[in-house]
Amino acid sequence: MKKKWVLFLALVIALFTGATMTGTTAHAASDDSLAQVQKKGTLVMGTSPDYPPYEFQATVHGKTKVVGMDVAVGEKIAKDLGVKLEVKSMSFDSLLVALQTGKVDMVISGMNPTPARKKNVDFTHTYYQGGYSIVINKADKGIYKNKDSFKGKTIGAQTGSTMYNESKKQTTDTTVKGMTSVSDLILGLQSHKLQGVAMEKPSAEAYVSNNKELASIPSDFDLSASDTSASVAFKKGSTSLVAAANKSVDQIKKQNLVNKDYLPAAGKYLKTNTVNTSMLHYWKAFLKGVEYTLIITVCSVFFGFILGVLLALARMAQGGPLMTGLRWLATAYVEFIRGTPMMVQVMFVYFGLGLVVNLPALMSGIIAISLNSGAYVAEYIRGGINSVDKGQTEAARSLGMSRGYTMRYVVLPQALKNIWPSLGNEFITLIKDSSIVSIIGVSELIFQSNIVRSDTYRGVAPIAVIMVLYFILTFTASRILNFFERRMQHD
Amino acid sequence: MTKPIIEVKNLAKNFGDNVVLKDITEQVNPGQVIVVIGPSGGGKSTFLRCLNLLETPTSGEVDFNGENLTTLDPKRVNELREQMGMVFQNFNLFPNMTVLENIKLAPMKVKAVDDAAATKRAHELLKQVNLDDHADTFPSNLSGGQAQRVAIARALAMDPKVMLFDEPTSALDPEMVGEVLNVMKELANQGMTMVVVTHEMGFAKSVADRVWFMADGFIQENNTPESFFSDPQTERAQDFLSKILM
Ligand SMILES: Nc1ncnc2c1ncn2[C@@H]1O[C@H](COP(=O)(O)OP(=O)(O)OP(=O)(O)O)[C@@H](O)[C@H]1O
Ligand SMILES: [Mg+2]
Repeated sequence: MKKKWVLFLALVIALFTGATMTGTTAHAASDDSLAQVQKKGTLVMGTSPDYPPYEFQATVHGKTKVVGMDVAVGEKIAKDLGVKLEVKSMSFDSLLVALQTGKVDMVISGMNPTPARKKNVDFTHTYYQGGYSIVINKADKGIYKNKDSFKGKTIGAQTGSTMYNESKKQTTDTTVKGMTSVSDLILGLQSHKLQGVAMEKPSAEAYVSNNKELASIPSDFDLSASDTSASVAFKKGSTSLVAAANKSVDQIKKQNLVNKDYLPAAGKYLKTNTVNTSMLHYWKAFLKGVEYTLIITVCSVFFGFILGVLLALARMAQGGPLMTGLRWLATAYVEFIRGTPMMVQVMFVYFGLGLVVNLPALMSGIIAISLNSGAYVAEYIRGGINSVDKGQTEAARSLGMSRGYTMRYVVLPQALKNIWPSLGNEFITLIKDSSIVSIIGVSELIFQSNIVRSDTYRGVAPIAVIMVLYFILTFTASRILNFFERRMQHD
Repeated sequence: MTKPIIEVKNLAKNFGDNVVLKDITEQVNPGQVIVVIGPSGGGKSTFLRCLNLLETPTSGEVDFNGENLTTLDPKRVNELREQMGMVFQNFNLFPNMTVLENIKLAPMKVKAVDDAAATKRAHELLKQVNLDDHADTFPSNLSGGQAQRVAIARALAMDPKVMLFDEPTSALDPEMVGEVLNVMKELANQGMTMVVVTHEMGFAKSVADRVWFMADGFIQENNTPESFFSDPQTERAQDFLSKILM
């Protein structure tokens, strides 16, 4: 499902770029990608850190950071270019969009340079040649031998990944289920919704060695080299950057750095990660999630409210053609926002708007949710304003108060009181809906719980924790709102 | 001869096809108390609301102190509205504010009177309408008669030159009508110019300088209360009086 949205988005963005391309053709002709990165001094790497040992989150000196062999590869490339590496996390599905829209300079995420992907991005030489395994429950070890043992069963693979496509193609009578995160897949396996999970060999081994309930079997997929190898992806046309990166990649290959250095180092992080898998140990991660969820919610409620008031007023504007135009615009905006999924809006702001101005993920999230919330709040406010007796306006106007003063001091306060419960609901809905920004990599609760899940190899506990945390947040919020509601009930 | 404070010239108003005011030309002199009476639906409220432009006339003009309201910009209209207090049938007090806040709001926001001065003036006005002990009450805890007296005080707080009343006692229980009419009488005695739409014939007889009888979109008769009630000139008025005085 998410895939479709990505496609839709890619389409919209393609239109966008098409429109702006005319202005930038001069740029495209002479490739200055390398010079630009060197001028910036940073190389931004996009990755989906739930795929140990390729990339995953680990706690290093009390701080969570993305580690793994891909990060080591990224660091090597950055170092050879003489720039700093910056790692940006996001869902695997979003990676290539982020690359095309310039959110990241390169993608290293265990990505296979398939012909389909090659059409849209440029790949370096491969830095690692792996293979596929299937992870199963240890108890089933005798039952499943390889990919052909799953007739009438269900296996899972990461959505958008090569394994997913190959699993579909190369199995018969087997249902292939796609999920975005590998932790979810493992959870599906352990709760017997899936009988196997196809993933790259190093990942499979990492999972098996960290979870005694799991075992791995060979996949026996018939695969071409491009399907099992991992490459670094760059934006199409960045020839100079690819050439520079290839120098690093070739060295990595020649000196066998992945097997000799990177994988063992990643293994060590995995060990430190899994020493203590109690949820309490991860309180910092959860706290950060709560913090971001609150930041997003509070900011979005604030800006959404202001926008909502403005939209409501615009929708009620009366007078000449200017006012009619304003009213029409506001109405169109409200209808459009309410008629499109918030998830698409979040992705559009982050990736689409990113073509014009480069906004950080958190800010994009806040903007998108504010824009969304504003449309809903506008409707509440409009209803609230209409619910105030016309006599109130007349009394105020008869006292010489202007239209604006009447609205501000007489009508709006009463309207707000009337719609306070609806606004409160909106606030509580936002606490929950802010989780959507996890797809663009903002460290709110859902995102943090996913990290904890892939760190600890525990599927359910983190979900239970955030469920309780969400409830505490919404419950506290509704108590506070009730308190204010009662305070306004003096008449 | 004194200059009229309100002059209405060929005023007409229709709502779509519904022609409510047809052609009204009258004037109000400073200090005069005008009582407007007439059958329900005759356009009395509409007429009164045209005087302070709460309703925009379809044609004709309304002059206040020599300025034609219908041609002024909204800002100037707001300024002139300050000088015309209005009291409504349903009081229209602001329910989210105390009595005192109701009275202080417009002087403070519109005239930028400071809080202390506005409070002082509000208490004076509350004394004038015998409600000073209710300053901190919310409107929902007032009786109809009390609410209407607060509404009068609120309008007076802007120091208007003219007061417009639209059936100020029609929504009241009978025992409360008197207290509101008394306040109005006192106001008239102090020399306030007033245009009052009412069905209180006693008030009209004892307080009015002129009675305007309004029906079918016209002022059918403009007369002194004595002559109007004892010897109405038009058949329409005779008919109306015979019905309500039975
Ligand atoms: N805003 C409006 N829109 C449409 N028609 C209106 C509006 N206000 C008043 N009218 C119509 O104008 C006519 C006169 O109404 P108005 O309220 O002025 O009469 P009235 O003499 O004050 O009557 P009452 O004694 O019932 O208060 C009525 O037919 C009424 O339906
Ligand atoms: Mg009326």
